[in-house]
Amino acid sequence: MISLGSYLAISFALFICGILVMIARKNIIAMLLGIELILNASALNFAAYTKFANNNLDGHIVSLFIIVIAAAEAAVGLGIVIRFFQLRESIHIDDAATLQN
Amino acid sequence: MFTNTLFLLSAALTVGGALAVVYSQNLMHACIYLLASLFGVSGLYACIGADFLAATQLVVYAGGVVILMLFAIMLTGGSGNKINRYGLEKIAAMGNKKTYFFAGFAGILTSLVLLKIIANILKAQPNTVLSANEPTVAKLGTLLATDHILAFEISSVLLLGALVGAAIISRPRKERND
Repeated sequence: MISLGSYLAISFALFICGILVMIARKNIIAMLLGIELILNASALNFAAYTKFANNNLDGHIVSLFIIVIAAAEAAVGLGIVIRFFQLRESIHIDDAATLQN
Repeated sequence: MFTNTLFLLSAALTVGGALAVVYSQNLMHACIYLLASLFGVSGLYACIGADFLAATQLVVYAGGVVILMLFAIMLTGGSGNKINRYGLEKIAAMGNKKTYFFAGFAGILTSLVLLKIIANILKAQPNTVLSANEPTVAKLGTLLATDHILAFEISSVLLLGALVGAAIISRPRKERND
């Protein structure tokens, strides 16, 4: 039951859900949720290949760095969203169409 | 037996949470469903013997990122943000029929491409003998301090940059008189 195929299928489902969220939502924070799903799918793939294809732990290292980068991305992205909300009083993605007033 | 049960529960939690993130109309609920999905991914890590990864996933994602997201949602008007104090109707905007149509189309297209690739991978996969699960923390520490030291240092610089950048970007607005 626990095989490479099942892990790839779960990661595939996560990735498709992330893509759907990123395209369908018009809310900036909801799009960030989709990005988190996609990053999780890739990290899961790395860990699964470490277990089922080769047994050195390099895949775990890459997954760790993916988690670190996702945390940094969430911090900066949410800072940008909060700043945008202070300026425009909106978190709709269509309002974010200009670089300056 | 126990591992199989854990795997099934984690897989159901992961996929169900991700689907609920897609179809929830309430932003706060979507964030909580994302928390469930991340818990499931942590369980999946535990099933293949990645103990340190499972713990890190719980600490960083469930304890950090999702809480940060919840803070950001509440700072930008909360979940019932159709009628918030600014009276703006555009904020809710969790997607409409048109965006869901395009998203479904793109999702089906991506699924077809990915399924084509995954089928090839599964056809060619080597039948290696699976090793038993061992503790990985000591090995991961050694690898991080020897083979991957450059990436480790760069990620520390990245985190410092993210910290300073987030503080500078979201600082309160300064009035300029010029």
